[in-house]
Amino acid sequence: MANRNIKVEIKEKLHDGTLRSNLERFSEQYPTARAKAYANVESIEALRDDLKDMKSYAVAHIEELADEFQASLEKRGAKVFRAKDGDQLKQQLMEICRENGVHNIVKSKSMATEEIKLNDYLEQQGLHVKETDLGEWMLSVAGQHPSHMVMPAIHLNRKQCAKFFSDELKEDIPSDIPFMVQTARRVMREEFLKADMGISGANFGIAENGAIGLVTNEGNARIVTTLPPVHVIIIGYEKLIPKVSDASKIMRLLPRNGTCQRMVSYLTLIDGPTPIIHEKNGKMVEENKKVYAILLDNGRLKAAHDPVMKEVYQCVRCASCLNVCPIWSTVGGNVYGHIYSGGIGAILTGLLNSLDDFAQFSDLCIGCRRCTTVCPGKINIPDLIQELRNRRVAQKGLSLPEKLIFQKIMTNRKLFHTLLRTASIGQKPVKSGKFIRNLPLFFAKMTEGRSLPTIADKPFRDRTNDLFKHNPASPKMKVAFFSGCNLDFVFPQTGESVVKVLQDIGAEVVYPQDQNCCGKPVIGAGDLDTARKLAKKNIEALESANADYIIAACPTCAETLEKTYKELFVHDPAWLKRADNLSKKIREFTSFVEQAYEKDKRLKVTHGKEKITYHDSCHMRRSLGIYKEPRKLLESAAGYDYVEMNGADQCCGMAGSFGMKYADLSVQLLNRKLHNIKESGAQTIAVACPACMMQIGGGLDKNAPEIKIKHIADVLAENLSD
Amino acid sequence: MRRVSHEWQKYLQKGFIDKKYWDGFKENAQAASVELKEVKSYEDAIPVIEGIIEDVKASSIAAVGGDESEKLNNIYKNLEQNCKVYTDKFDIAKNAPTVDIGISVAEFGVSETGSVCVDNYSYEARVTTMLPPINIVFMNKNNVVNTMTDAFAILENVFDKGYTGFVTGPSRTSDIERVLTLGVHGPSRLILFAVDGME
Repeated sequence: MANRNIKVEIKEKLHDGTLRSNLERFSEQYPTARAKAYANVESIEALRDDLKDMKSYAVAHIEELADEFQASLEKRGAKVFRAKDGDQLKQQLMEICRENGVHNIVKSKSMATEEIKLNDYLEQQGLHVKETDLGEWMLSVAGQHPSHMVMPAIHLNRKQCAKFFSDELKEDIPSDIPFMVQTARRVMREEFLKADMGISGANFGIAENGAIGLVTNEGNARIVTTLPPVHVIIIGYEKLIPKVSDASKIMRLLPRNGTCQRMVSYLTLIDGPTPIIHEKNGKMVEENKKVYAILLDNGRLKAAHDPVMKEVYQCVRCASCLNVCPIWSTVGGNVYGHIYSGGIGAILTGLLNSLDDFAQFSDLCIGCRRCTTVCPGKINIPDLIQELRNRRVAQKGLSLPEKLIFQKIMTNRKLFHTLLRTASIGQKPVKSGKFIRNLPLFFAKMTEGRSLPTIADKPFRDRTNDLFKHNPASPKMKVAFFSGCNLDFVFPQTGESVVKVLQDIGAEVVYPQDQNCCGKPVIGAGDLDTARKLAKKNIEALESANADYIIAACPTCAETLEKTYKELFVHDPAWLKRADNLSKKIREFTSFVEQAYEKDKRLKVTHGKEKITYHDSCHMRRSLGIYKEPRKLLESAAGYDYVEMNGADQCCGMAGSFGMKYADLSVQLLNRKLHNIKESGAQTIAVACPACMMQIGGGLDKNAPEIKIKHIADVLAENLSD
Repeated sequence: MRRVSHEWQKYLQKGFIDKKYWDGFKENAQAASVELKEVKSYEDAIPVIEGIIEDVKASSIAAVGGDESEKLNNIYKNLEQNCKVYTDKFDIAKNAPTVDIGISVAEFGVSETGSVCVDNYSYEARVTTMLPPINIVFMNKNNVVNTMTDAFAILENVFDKGYTGFVTGPSRTSDIERVLTLGVHGPSRLILFAVDGME
């Protein structure tokens, strides 16, 4: 893959009105339509677990399954080849074409053949190849690439489609959809009837009997595998499953997740050579078709033996991870690699192509984790992406500015904090560009759609002496506050609210001054060595506080301290133990306070005169699983009337350094969020995450200054007497 | 007619089928655009099919499964009065691309999805169901299983080689502007006769 300018590509997509409205409509409808498709199953979770277990068994036994699949097919009279890569597959296929005198080929959808650019190759060899899926056919005519694995042409409108039809058929085709479909039927039927060979992919291959399963709505795969006298199956190793009954584990989820159908029109199961009746030497004869299967490796077997990445075998190519992805639903699939798009696409590209290809668009995953809530195979897509990022950094190292910031500045707390304070005194403009973007704070220049916050005159850490004078005389507990950079340097007044609320529930609050950045930006960039240094400093600082609990009012910090530190020290038993002990004391602020209020019977639903709504931070909702508690606190906050807004759990677009690097895209996500906030009619939007507060606050400032943004700590503190 | 199995019924009767699954099947099949006709007997289907022939001005039909069911065979004979009916596999192979209607059979239905399981090992059954614009299917109304899990549990027993699978409504596409359009490569109409007490 050549070096691409992804930012320019994104800009183009953001200005493509057809694409934007098609995707927006689809992503709005998808969650409801999916839920409807699942309405008649007892437990989606149980089905997802079944699929995950079956597929993880398959990958653990991949060689045995491949041998069994091959033996089963050969026993039934098919020929089976193994191809280590695209080049070998092409040679094998050409040999089959020569042997059978093939000239005309019809194909039904196969991602694997797209991955190795098979069609281009066959055409270079002088063969006539036609894609038969309507969307794929239109795109191949237009010289475009699919922007979605299941809905390849979702980025087009009917007029664009009609133009492709007209150009290809040299007829004037009106942009009437049923007419276009009928035209495709007519044109493609001729191709089917004259084809010497049909090439299909496989949605699954069953080891115990050698059958493959093909899933289509159009029915093209049934005709591709019926009419031509030769059938070639091109199947990746990841499609192999042990038994016939395992197929239902895929089929109860794939259509529901992929196209929101309970079942596709055609689920076809083919096993070995089947009869064909055709004219031969002027006479109708019945004979068996010739069936060939080629098992494609192309990086798959290596992935199967990779203790972390083997999880991709749980993918059934339903593309639901795209359907819920805030980035895909804004810019579509073409800005990713050209074959596999979205988060799963980044991973597959990294495994099947190279880490360099992966790195070109891997940071388009903002880690919001919505995909993990729908993936039928329960793949932790953002975690696998992070793992590949880590590997690339280990292999290639960081860029120079990142190296300087992470390794020389952030690990030196005094230097780091001095720089932040200087930025405050100088009050902007601080140098923009790479330096700023990699900091955990974003005090870069103003952008079009949002204002960015300034560094506070007096950081939180300098305000603690006064605050702690109000610690209760006979405390019920001792808590250490981990502020994180944002509450320390950007929103210190929210840090004060946190302390007041904690004191009010009877806590003695302390602030270990040696605490530093939690390390999340460094971890995100894949620099784990530096992350470990930061983690050790923080563990030491927090241990010295001797507190009963450690409270973070930033979900990202809470997640990093509670979960990620343990992962960082998985090979260092002494520090793992310390990370583990620390982890047990970590509490996220709102859930901690909600518990205390519940215990003290302070949670009573009120209807004040000011409407307030709530935005779920991605990390809070999907990493920490906290979303009920903040709502309960707000419902009972005096003076407010809680209302729910649409899309409360959709990413605001900040997502760490993403918000800076892809500012245009980030602002689009922000605008969607702002729209929903306005629609809710709330005068105040509450958040529990300082990064979201920064992003949404910046957007409101520019677009709806009448709406206030408050951290839940601020809302709660308002109702406390000083 | 060549089949994946001659023992579908035997396995269906091992506790998989129940009349209580009918309502779910009906709802899901209709949601998938299946034109469902519940009939008491084969004979009752004849006037309905004659009506369809008249409506679409059909002049020829490909029909399979008559070799295994006398009642079906009788229907085909009856229809010959209105229309050319091909039942020989070579005739079907030759004429399937141009016939107006294909008539075939299904082994059982699946309540969860509204799908019918088809045994299409024979070439003539495949072209009959896929090439004409209308596919009429006969199924025993009592043969409905609960879930896809059950359906595959049956396949686990009967499917050793050949060509089978599930059909859920007519051929469809949403590739242009996500507008649902029926009948792209396969039939645009799937008319299912669920026959009471069909053996």
